Amino acid sequence: MTDQTAVLRDVRRGMIPAHIYNDSETFALEKERLFGRAWLFVAHESEIPAPGDYVVRRVLEDSFIVTRDESGEIRAHFNMCLHRGMQVCRAEMGNASHFRCPYHGWSYRNDGRIVGLPFHQDAYGGEAGFRRKGQRLLPAPNLATYNGMIFISLDPDAPPLEDFLGDFRFYLDYYTRQSPSGIELRGPQRWRIKANWKIGAENFAGDMYHTPQTHTSVVEIGLFREPKAEKRKDGATYWAGNGGGTTYKLPPGDLDERLRYVGYPQEMIDRMKAAWSPQQSQVIGRDGFMISAASLFPNLSLVHNWPRVADSEAVLPFISIRQWQPISENETEVLSWFAVDAEAPEEFKALSYKAYLMCFGSTGMFEQDDVENWVSLTNTAAGSMARRLLLNSRMGLLEDGVQVSPTLTPDEFAGPGTARTGYSEYNQRELLNRWADHLERPQPRAATVEVGTGHGPDSCDAEPAGTDTAPRRSEGDPKETRS
Amino acid sequence: MSTDTTPPPIGGLSARSPLGAGASRLQRTGRTLPFGDRRHQEAHQWLTDETYLLDAQRYEEWLTLLTEDIHYLMPVRVTTALGSGYDTSPGMAHFDEDKYSLSRRVARFLTEHAWTEDPPSRMRHHIGNVRTFATADPDHLIAESSVLLFRSRGDVNEPALVSAGREDLLRRGPDGWLLARRTIMADEAVLRMQNLAVFL
Repeated sequence: MTDQTAVLRDVRRGMIPAHIYNDSETFALEKERLFGRAWLFVAHESEIPAPGDYVVRRVLEDSFIVTRDESGEIRAHFNMCLHRGMQVCRAEMGNASHFRCPYHGWSYRNDGRIVGLPFHQDAYGGEAGFRRKGQRLLPAPNLATYNGMIFISLDPDAPPLEDFLGDFRFYLDYYTRQSPSGIELRGPQRWRIKANWKIGAENFAGDMYHTPQTHTSVVEIGLFREPKAEKRKDGATYWAGNGGGTTYKLPPGDLDERLRYVGYPQEMIDRMKAAWSPQQSQVIGRDGFMISAASLFPNLSLVHNWPRVADSEAVLPFISIRQWQPISENETEVLSWFAVDAEAPEEFKALSYKAYLMCFGSTGMFEQDDVENWVSLTNTAAGSMARRLLLNSRMGLLEDGVQVSPTLTPDEFAGPGTARTGYSEYNQRELLNRWADHLERPQPRAATVEVGTGHGPDSCDAEPAGTDTAPRRSEGDPKETRS
Repeated sequence: MSTDTTPPPIGGLSARSPLGAGASRLQRTGRTLPFGDRRHQEAHQWLTDETYLLDAQRYEEWLTLLTEDIHYLMPVRVTTALGSGYDTSPGMAHFDEDKYSLSRRVARFLTEHAWTEDPPSRMRHHIGNVRTFATADPDHLIAESSVLLFRSRGDVNEPALVSAGREDLLRRGPDGWLLARRTIMADEAVLRMQNLAVFL
């Protein structure tokens, strides 16, 4: 492995060695030290509302079954049979009380516990040969939720999710808690792009500068009125905790008027006002900043825009949550969900969905041009010449470190963290500084788990008795799915 | 050889979309029309002529082939267990379009700033397996087809493919057939194409 010290040092001063966007050694480090450690979004609780509901999601190559078990608890288990390592669930979504491995028929309750082991006595000599009691699919080392968003970490020693999110929770609420019921997710659309995963995360984190150029066409066709260059730079970018994002400056008005300006009906506005803190309301109502794109380190992004969806002046806001799932140094699977407040009127949900489809996702008219650029960037970063180029990602700073635009005061921007108006690359630097912090810190090898020997996952013995619900079907006839 | 008479699930997807309220509900009736039937021949020619416009990206002309109440739907496919009763993502699609949103997509390609198609892709829509069916209304036909889109961009990356089945509802207009409803069933759960800045 090439010494990365110089690369990380350059990144920390905002000079980006171009090859980090297409380099196999860098990607190997990211897999081990970043994705092996950080909190990563896998699903939202609204995707698995009923007991037995599951989705299968990956963290790079690792497949996890994310389920709501019979007692309603959210769980994530490594999707590998404890016997020969077969994937026990090969569907990506559904409802099941049990998962049965197709290879030798071992089966597991949807809380991960083993329930069926054919010929246990004949083949293994019973418990004396293979300790079935207490065995379960390997759980994700850490799992936690915020506003229904389910995150896992492969690091058993990860800091609490709340600490990881930090003050970014303040901004996450705008996307995921517009009422006490929170959001519901639809999708995701999934597609692969030949682009490095970091580019999308950086773009959504703070790149207001690309909007007037990349997205000229959506203004020209009347889809979105905001991104004109002179308007976009009036917005603020903010960074708080482990995430940051962009905003648009709205025309004068109070909170209600500004939420109506982006297309929310009054009943939704009333619920937002009840759900948000005074400071959260102030960012919009007093300071005039409306959230748009954002990224949570390392690879989750969010967007909130308000396009025209019909031949009228009315606009409709939508929310999308998306993950940049790395496949390799030059390929990313995009998972793009449409999100909407669960309490929104049905007509709003339908039109907001339409707004999402027109703007973002696999067919989105914003996203189409973004991805074209990112694929091109990734291709160009592959060769030897890219290793000679340090891209200047210092926008917003003079050479001596003096800020081009001052930090906004609490009177100008009520939200936590640091915010500034105008074009800058503070947020992209924040993101890549965290990336550098992870890449330089070796990840200790994870403890191994022996199957069937009594040295199984610790959590087996710690299982609270209360979750031991009887299976709906007899052990002899485990059914993979129920309709 | 199947000449099924029951509508496959694809025919009902438009009605289940939150944006499909305005679309025609007409479904196929009876067996496939014989290849010698004039209606089949007209539908097949219509599909072939349409394909030419899509390959050539002559989208303004393509728009004139669509009815005002068109529903253009491409569900998101999901991998589900056999017998689960569904294989599309509930409430989500790649395309779920009406005439207005399609017209915006076309208008965007006509600007000088639709970077994703400048330079343009080299595209070929290969269509086949055309089957046609009558409906309860003599002025409407159902046409089924498969489409394989080959799309090559630039000179670095591999070309991308999308394979899909389509079910179209064609309506007789004053100057020929028009597309009133299209449901596109992609054969992949994860598309291997950088975007769908294309029509299928």
